[in-house]
Amino acid sequence: MLLFLFKRAMTLLLVLLGLAILIFVIARVVPGDPARIALGLLATAEQVTQLRDEMGLNDPFPVQLWMYLSGLVQGDLGKSLLTSRPVMDDIRGALPATLELVLFTLVIQIAIAIPLGVMAAIYRNSWVDSLLRVVSLIGVVTPGFVLAIILQLLAAHHLGAFPVTGRLDPGLSFSADITGLLLVDGLLYGRLDVVADASAHLFLPSIALAAAGIGQVMRITRTAMIEVASRDFVEAARAYGIPERVVTFRYMLRVASVAPLTILGLEFASLIGNAFIVEFVFSWPGIASYGVRTILQKDLNAVIGVVLVSGVFFVVANLVIDLMLSLLDPRHRIIAERGK
Amino acid sequence: MSAVQDINFASHGLSARQMAFYRFRRNPLAVIGALIVLSVIFAALLAPWIAPSPESAGSFVDFRNRHSPPSWDNLMGTDNVGRDVLSRVLFGYRISLGLVVGVLGVAVPLGVVLGLMAGYFGGWTETIIMRFTDIMLALPPLAMALAITAVLSPNLINAMIAITLLWWTWHTRLIYRIVKAQMNEDYIEAARVAGASHIHILFRELLPNCVSAVAVKISLDAGFVILFGAALSFLGLGVQPPTPDLGTMVATGSEYLPEMWWQAVMPGLAILYAILGFNLLGDGLRDMLDVEL
Amino acid sequence: MTPLLDIHDLCIGFRAYGQHRRILHNVNLHVNEGERVSLIGQSGSGKTVTMRSIIGTLPMPPGQIEQGSITYDGRSLLDLNKRDRNQLKGSGISIVLQDPMLSFNPVLTIGRQMDDIIRFGDIRTGRSRRIQDRHAHMIDTLQKVQLKDGERVLNSYPMMLSGGMRQRVLIAMALLNKPRLLVADEPGTALDVTTQAEILALLNRLVTNEGLSLLLITHNLGVVREMADRVYVMERGHIVETGTRDQIFAAPKHAYTKKLMAAVPPLYGASVKTTHHEGLKPIVTLQSVTKDFETRSGWLNRVSGRFRAVDDVSLTVRQGDIFGIAGESGSGKTTLAKTIMGLIKPSAGEVLIDGRPLDGFAGSQEFRKHIQIVYQNPGSSLNPRRTIAQQLSVPLKFTGSDSAAIGGRIRDLLELVDLPQSYANMYPHELSGGQKQRVAIARALSVNPRILVLDEPTSALDVLVQSTVIDLLHRLRREFDLTYIFISHDLSLMRNFCNRAAIMWRGKVVETGQISEIFDHPSHPYTRALLSAIPVISAEEDALKPSITKEERAAVLATSTQLEDT
Repeated sequence: MLLFLFKRAMTLLLVLLGLAILIFVIARVVPGDPARIALGLLATAEQVTQLRDEMGLNDPFPVQLWMYLSGLVQGDLGKSLLTSRPVMDDIRGALPATLELVLFTLVIQIAIAIPLGVMAAIYRNSWVDSLLRVVSLIGVVTPGFVLAIILQLLAAHHLGAFPVTGRLDPGLSFSADITGLLLVDGLLYGRLDVVADASAHLFLPSIALAAAGIGQVMRITRTAMIEVASRDFVEAARAYGIPERVVTFRYMLRVASVAPLTILGLEFASLIGNAFIVEFVFSWPGIASYGVRTILQKDLNAVIGVVLVSGVFFVVANLVIDLMLSLLDPRHRIIAERGK
Repeated sequence: MSAVQDINFASHGLSARQMAFYRFRRNPLAVIGALIVLSVIFAALLAPWIAPSPESAGSFVDFRNRHSPPSWDNLMGTDNVGRDVLSRVLFGYRISLGLVVGVLGVAVPLGVVLGLMAGYFGGWTETIIMRFTDIMLALPPLAMALAITAVLSPNLINAMIAITLLWWTWHTRLIYRIVKAQMNEDYIEAARVAGASHIHILFRELLPNCVSAVAVKISLDAGFVILFGAALSFLGLGVQPPTPDLGTMVATGSEYLPEMWWQAVMPGLAILYAILGFNLLGDGLRDMLDVEL
Repeated sequence: MTPLLDIHDLCIGFRAYGQHRRILHNVNLHVNEGERVSLIGQSGSGKTVTMRSIIGTLPMPPGQIEQGSITYDGRSLLDLNKRDRNQLKGSGISIVLQDPMLSFNPVLTIGRQMDDIIRFGDIRTGRSRRIQDRHAHMIDTLQKVQLKDGERVLNSYPMMLSGGMRQRVLIAMALLNKPRLLVADEPGTALDVTTQAEILALLNRLVTNEGLSLLLITHNLGVVREMADRVYVMERGHIVETGTRDQIFAAPKHAYTKKLMAAVPPLYGASVKTTHHEGLKPIVTLQSVTKDFETRSGWLNRVSGRFRAVDDVSLTVRQGDIFGIAGESGSGKTTLAKTIMGLIKPSAGEVLIDGRPLDGFAGSQEFRKHIQIVYQNPGSSLNPRRTIAQQLSVPLKFTGSDSAAIGGRIRDLLELVDLPQSYANMYPHELSGGQKQRVAIARALSVNPRILVLDEPTSALDVLVQSTVIDLLHRLRREFDLTYIFISHDLSLMRNFCNRAAIMWRGKVVETGQISEIFDHPSHPYTRALLSAIPVISAEEDALKPSITKEERAAVLATSTQLEDT
């Protein structure tokens, strides 16, 4: 088990390293001078030259890459041109908000999509299946920003209880200094008012963010369940007299859940990507809305930082999912370990 | 052996094509999807002739008629400078479909060829191509597209380039998976024994076995490319005004929420309509051609 | 005496693609207490549907029982309510499924799956046992199927066991709730013949010792002869003949039964057809050929292990020979075939075709005109998305035929393998298995090779189709003066088809020579073990099989009762 985890972690670290190099290369090969872009068209040639020196742009490429990677290892992502603060500090401040949103979204996705997918498979080709199919399609096809706007519109008129911007009511004074997650710290401090208010704030953005994934995961769960249902071992279990309920949940779902979990991992980057829009619309103070602002300002250091952090998110999420898969499906682990 | 396999379908007197058509026909959602897609394509092609107010597509202004709600004259209302929203939506479909053609026209052939090569040649070709796609997978696509267009300066062509750069990897992964499965089949080796060239095996033997999956994927993709382009424009990084783009219209319109809701909601629904059509069609094709993505 | 299981006038239909089709027609079948009954049928005969209707797993819809009854122990199964019906599952009637890998849930341990069966069986019968008692019962039951290391088996996942062990565990699972009737669907068919023989012997012993009744469903007549007191023959949903085993095997009445019997190649006795002809000069020579494989894994495909698939093999095939290479799965016979084809480079040793070494020769146009291959499964060796004509044209195009001549050549080829010209524009899925294999043979012959490697060319086909393909191969060999290298695990077939053969065991050739010599005087214990394990269809053949001592057997066969230490 440990060996398996270690191997997976090493693989993902390699992905991260590749990612860091790729982003750096992209940032350097795009047309235009980063210093010129940063300073704008009105800057003088001297100012540009000076900034180029400061940014190390005049060094040979390998030296630049080395400086950048060694900075990265020490957690140095350079300075943001937008906020004039170290990018790392900006990200550290915004990270918990995004983490909370994304985790909440994932929980919603799994909790809603998998049971509905199982239901659709059990009642396949009935009206329940058709209804769920339409629901899942609406989830998949509604663009995040359209859904966000519609939700805001509804909230303004009918769902008054749900605030449409920010993480927490400004009237509540609370500092989440343990984990940074309002729900968790609120519980730890026993501040139920904070938990309630933070949940209300989370509700609409996480729905907007979760919708696409819910549709997709539901669909895949359904397909996987139907595929598993046709396997011999399901027939065997039935013929040996195992009750239908147990056949469905212990025998089928456990095998079938590998597919939706894998997809959640693969699509994790898309989820983060969509967070850029959703955070922007709901003024959520996370790294994604920070990312949008810095992108609009062409703040290259900050953009690189945000993309890298998203990459780390992806890697960690996939590590967690791998762990879950290996608990669900021993073959996963046995094959990976045998490889050695 | 399942009971259903136990019955030889050939003895039903149906060809594979008939069975596929039967599955498609029995799926009303797929038919609806096909109709929606056709209507969107017609709208885009015929926009200059069917739009109630073709001049609304440009920087036309009519301040007396601004912010009017949906009515018989303006079925989707008018925007902040008095342009007919319906006309702009119809023209907006031209941009959306143009983006789809531009992106998929490059990303699909590129992705398919790389996927074929990675799966067929294996070894270092496979390692390099597939590890590269692994890395690309970790990038949040929307964020990357935003960043690329921002740096390149926002316009339709650059949006197209940015989305294309991110899109091919999905096709590469899909084709790679199919080819890897096909490589276990003896017909590949049989072709080699027959002396077939690599080009022949890649494009004559393997490619036909990928076509159904690619067709389904293209149909599903088309919707998501529209979504992507609209999201870029929504943040001001795609198509620039006054070109009628659905995402830009939602963004501009959302400033007038909630009172003048139609300005954002109508183009939003128009996007949804197109994506829905492509998805329904893709799903229908998936059932019909019996492919797994 | 009322039978334990009585199927009366059963008709089952299926609805698919908006069409209705009847699968079972007025089937009558019964199994008495303590009796062993076999249901014989080829694929598509409806035997699996019959099995499913008995155990209650027929999917309905699309399936539909239109007429008739199934009675078990005096109770009508089709009229029972769901609870009572479920009560019988596993405890009244139990099954042993066909594929020992697919019949297990891959993500649960064997122990967990067995415990579920006991626990829910107990719940249905209103019993409750402590976990220790259930555990003891599992260990006991595993003992019955000769798995002594029960503790370790219970803690294993299915993929960690060998095929033979999995089949044993499957039998144990069927026995857990002490059923009275065991339904076995092709038991052991997916395994090697020596393992299959062990499984069949085990089933026979259990039926006697536990006082079970057995309904065995199979396509293999040899298996039936060893396993049945009474036999039903099914063809296209009809029971065409029934009788005691001896009646059926000694004097089959129905034309279909006779045809089936005649199509099974005899292993020994007067009816064996020996192919007498001597090959001329050597055409394929193998000199100490060895092949090691590396297994690779990980992110960057590093080498992580090695094993020897072919070990120091030397053989000579002469022009005109039908040279058999026999062996069980993993014996290296397919690797050897691919080495001869130049598709795999030997790690050591040399292959000569017509006296020329393969280096620089393999893969050339001239080489392709020397040697071609026909694969086991035409469903896999033909591209599903290309027409028959397109596929036949590939070898022609790449051996320099001009496109004008190709059309005519394709017509000739179809005629050669007795297929109508209209098939040229069809896709493989529109053809039957036998027809597809004919196309594959035509493709191999298209460039007029002198040698054909036949890699199990009939093992994916029904026995009736098999004999027609073999006849075709005989005819083609005479017409074109071909040399065949015939790879197979089916020794009965090899006996009647080949003139010379080699027996492979764990990568080595242990015996080679004239076909009659090998079969009549097998020298290596493995050859004898193999021959004695083959289920045959007459007492005459049984009597002529070689004998083998227990010690010899143990020395050459991996046992399916013990865990390997990995």
